[in-house]
Amino acid sequence: MFRPIRILILSLLFLGCVKEIDYKTLTTAFSTDIRGFDPAFATDIRTGKIISLVYDNLVRFDNEMNLVPALTQRWSVDLSGRQYTFIIRNNVHFHDGSLLTVFDIAKSFQRILDPNTASTQTWLLDRITGAKDFMTGKEDSLKGLIISNDSTIVIKLDKPFAPFIQYLAMPAAAIINIKENESLTQTPSGSGPWKLERWERDGEIIFSRNEKYWDNHPKTERMRIRILSEVMTQSAEFEAGSLDILEVPQGEMEYWKQYSYNQLDVDELNIWYIGMNCSRPPFNDMRLRRAMNYAIDREKIIHILLNNSATLANGPLPPQLLHEAGEMHYEYNPNRAIQLLKEAGFDNDLHTELYVAGGSGMFHVLEALQSDWEKVGITVDIKRSDWNVFKTSVREGKPDLYYLDWFADYPDGENFLYPLFHSKESMTKRNRFSDPEIDVIIEKIQQLTNSVERQQLIATANMMVADAAPWVFLWHSKTTYLTREWISGFQPSSIFNANRYMNITKDLPR
Amino acid sequence: MIQYFLNRLLQTIPVLFGVIVITFVLMYIIPGDPVVSMVGERYNEETIQRLREDMHLDDPLFIQFFRYVGNVFRGNFGNSFITGEPVINLIMEKFPNTMMLAVGAMFFAILFGLTAGILTSIRPGSFIDRGIMVLALAGISAPVFWVGLILILVVGVMLRWLPPTGFGGIEYLILPALTLGLRSAAYLARLTRATMLDVMSQDYIRTARSKKLSEWKIYLQHAFPNTLIPVITVIGTDFGSYLSGAVLTESIFGWPGIGRLALEAIMKRDFPVIQGTVLFMAIMFVLMNVLVDMLYGVVDPRIRLERSGK
Repeated sequence: MFRPIRILILSLLFLGCVKEIDYKTLTTAFSTDIRGFDPAFATDIRTGKIISLVYDNLVRFDNEMNLVPALTQRWSVDLSGRQYTFIIRNNVHFHDGSLLTVFDIAKSFQRILDPNTASTQTWLLDRITGAKDFMTGKEDSLKGLIISNDSTIVIKLDKPFAPFIQYLAMPAAAIINIKENESLTQTPSGSGPWKLERWERDGEIIFSRNEKYWDNHPKTERMRIRILSEVMTQSAEFEAGSLDILEVPQGEMEYWKQYSYNQLDVDELNIWYIGMNCSRPPFNDMRLRRAMNYAIDREKIIHILLNNSATLANGPLPPQLLHEAGEMHYEYNPNRAIQLLKEAGFDNDLHTELYVAGGSGMFHVLEALQSDWEKVGITVDIKRSDWNVFKTSVREGKPDLYYLDWFADYPDGENFLYPLFHSKESMTKRNRFSDPEIDVIIEKIQQLTNSVERQQLIATANMMVADAAPWVFLWHSKTTYLTREWISGFQPSSIFNANRYMNITKDLPR
Repeated sequence: MIQYFLNRLLQTIPVLFGVIVITFVLMYIIPGDPVVSMVGERYNEETIQRLREDMHLDDPLFIQFFRYVGNVFRGNFGNSFITGEPVINLIMEKFPNTMMLAVGAMFFAILFGLTAGILTSIRPGSFIDRGIMVLALAGISAPVFWVGLILILVVGVMLRWLPPTGFGGIEYLILPALTLGLRSAAYLARLTRATMLDVMSQDYIRTARSKKLSEWKIYLQHAFPNTLIPVITVIGTDFGSYLSGAVLTESIFGWPGIGRLALEAIMKRDFPVIQGTVLFMAIMFVLMNVLVDMLYGVVDPRIRLERSGK
């Protein structure tokens, strides 16, 4: 008789432990923690996302990937393309209440280049005139950084460089409150829409909205980002109502289809690829590289293994960065692959290794590729190692083949072309691809400001790279988000630091 | 007695020095460059070189080693390659969380393990005995990650009795503590049962019964204390391993402890944090073993006398 009562009491006790939904706090999750709040060391996407919440930049990307003014009211570029003039807002305050001035902007940029900061992100600003001398200690100040008056700052570059303005929207170009820059790793010192309340490393990051933000402040009062390394754990928390937004893991797409949660798909600015070492046999032969592309049935893999959460890649650039889609280069054609292999002198005797980072969750996909290549006579062994060993090997040019991805830093074709295919970068860090003609086009793209000619050159470079096939071009992935029924206004973006969780509301479902 | 404990503490020094040597050498012979993890996808070669110099990675190995050992003896475990913060601060930040989980897990293990062990030994072969022993066998055999996920799904998601994961008050501690402590509880139950059955066949128990002492008094006052030596050994070593971090449990439940700190450091090749956490884990484990040795003497004075040669 007493047993059911005991069970009831115990159940009520446990039920009392579960908290009610907190409609004032937006909760989402990251799979690993951030590196800290210092923009000088923001090298990964997660840290970059968080930096964009607590700091402001001169300019930023909106959800549609347009570059829009932030701390600057407006900006202009002179005809030479070397001089940028920014008119700064005079109503912006840091979280400690102090006014943000042009001096803070100058000091923030100098800090990144200062050798004492030891920033890993100097590449963003080292094109400013005098940067090299400042970095080596020959000069005490940056010659190309000129404060004209209380609200105007001018930046001069050594050479015209079109992506520079986009660099200024990146995390490392965030403006910090230089008066208290002692412990930026743990405590941010910015002017962004969210203020840090607490950071429990590997646990959670809690923000409260900046009520005095110069623009519209976030609609929810607080935001909590939980660090949950296990995919399964994130899913369980979402289902239990403890997470408001879930980034659906690839393997769980099918599972979530049975539920009616709001679903948002985002075409990411990225590419997944197999890099081929173009500097030595066998992959210095373009016919073999093309055969590798023709031999694989990407559509089938996307449909069956990736649950249609990707689009076919036609060259390195995602379609959003091209004004018009070109003709598809490598349709699945094993006969063409065999023919190319014969022409190149490989007759069922090619044996090679594909390097993969151990953390990759895509082994089933790689095994499908392996099987397709096997059908045309190319035997590929998959060699797994941890991420660091893998990246070191790629940097040293060891692998013949490696599986990797690239996510855009900023929404511009140049961000895919220069770091990945310009010989200066590729020959020292990646798959040792060098084509002087492509180098010249990329350099021209870097110099031209937005124009039809620039867009055409980007499309041309994309096609030329696709022709030369330094990679097996795989796909551009999509990310699917689910939101709980009490969430509205969530708008994920293709660019990692565009979404600042500003317009999200959390209310009782109607 | 004091001499014995001092001897035991002195014996830990070569063990810890060995740990320092092994972790240091392992870190430097495995392939991969820690700087690669720090710089991200875009970097200048000058940045790479400057970082290597700043972190003294190009110094000869033995110089790096003696610098490291010297710093460790001064209580300086170095700074994280990734965040630049002192490793000792990171460890101290996580240790209370790990301690909380370890105490919770051990509380559960002792409560359930010893109770089950004593109960089953009262009537060996009974339905209760068989049932509990089957459960104990399952508890020993079930992988930690599986138990954790099942508890999350059933208790956290389906029944919604407790928060599935996370960190905070007592309600967040229950599931990870159950997961972590289950194996110890199961093992303690089996061990206590076996030892109790052995003790219960001793002459002094027969004597106690002939004196008409109550069965509960015989079990709890006469028999149980004599089972404590193996039980303390298990509790001590398990608690030592809990204190050094429970990587799987902490990962599944999003518990920010030493285990996750070590795991993240390994993934990012953060050498100073890896070395610091491994050394810290070793210290915890060794100290718990010393403590267990000390408790032997407290529980059974004969051990103290024998070892001190009297």
